[in-house]
Amino acid sequence: MNNENGGSCPLPSCPDNYGTMPACAGLAVPYVPFQQDNPKKYAQSEALSNGTLFPGLNLPFHLKTEGSALPSNPLVELQALEFVVLELGIYLDTHPDDAEAFTLFKQYAAMEKAAKAAYESKFGPLTKSAAASGDGYRWLQEPWPWNFQQNEVK
Amino acid sequence: MFIYEKKLQFPVKIATPNPKLAAFIISQYGGPDGELGASMRYLSQRYAMPYAEAKGVLTDIGTEELGHMEMVAAVVHQLTRNLSVDEIKNSPFAPYFVDHTTGVYPTAASGFPWTAASIQSTGDVIADLTEDLAAEQKARLTYDNILRLSDDPDVNNVIRFLREREVVHFQRFGECLRLCKEKMDAKNVYFTNPAFDKNPPAEKG
Repeated sequence: MNNENGGSCPLPSCPDNYGTMPACAGLAVPYVPFQQDNPKKYAQSEALSNGTLFPGLNLPFHLKTEGSALPSNPLVELQALEFVVLELGIYLDTHPDDAEAFTLFKQYAAMEKAAKAAYESKFGPLTKSAAASGDGYRWLQEPWPWNFQQNEVK
Repeated sequence: MFIYEKKLQFPVKIATPNPKLAAFIISQYGGPDGELGASMRYLSQRYAMPYAEAKGVLTDIGTEELGHMEMVAAVVHQLTRNLSVDEIKNSPFAPYFVDHTTGVYPTAASGFPWTAASIQSTGDVIADLTEDLAAEQKARLTYDNILRLSDDPDVNNVIRFLREREVVHFQRFGECLRLCKEKMDAKNVYFTNPAFDKNPPAEKG
């Protein structure tokens, strides 16, 4: 990895919320600084509540940097694991050689897979194929994701 | 192909219905810089992309935007549940209600229905990725304006999450543009369009 694309900045003082730029760049195209390899990361619940895994990219509007308070329940725990897998997956699209990120991606993908199976066996299927395991057809059971609670229509 | 997961990307639990908020948050469902347009833009642009990184980023972000559409729809749905006619009568939600009752319909806050005219798929690597950078900024500022107008913390938690995703997506599209540019003509990045010109033509005199 060179310094322009995802490597670390040559300046020892370059902070985590800064990226790398080419030393000499062709004219007439836009440039966004490349996020440095192995950036700082939040734990999964903090990542979900902030909307990003990366403190360096957390740039809120009119708000303090601390994320919103999320309820603590099995669904939110699963959502937090899936969010890290999604965020790392997009990061790896542009940083495929960041070995530490890939190791973390594998760890979180395994945790997410286990958490999803545990959630589905207790609360019902999240995907159609999971609806095939179990004694009866549970795909139609409440709640649907967009409902505030069951039987919300008066 | 796509497989549905019966859950949201981020929890949406709006305790207090509020048709006034719903009347403008619907813009991020079907407005000019909303999640439907974002998803259609990225998932359409990826076919012309010659480079793996761009195919990956457009597929992954386009798919995530489908999940954001569902979240915005869930916010609108929960804000408009269990309303009485009196609550709607004197609210800015009334014009929407006339046409759609409390169904979720892709429209801008102005009432203009969703249109593909607000997105582009040009078949040109640099033009498409530059459009995507702009699109993320336009969605980000729409969420800023929603945060200015809303004082419901249940709504703002969700809007804050969606807004932050725009910042991260902007970063990834910028990195993607750099990776693509490096594979193009080093002397003149506009010499050909690698999405169309399979055998670069000779220079014209």
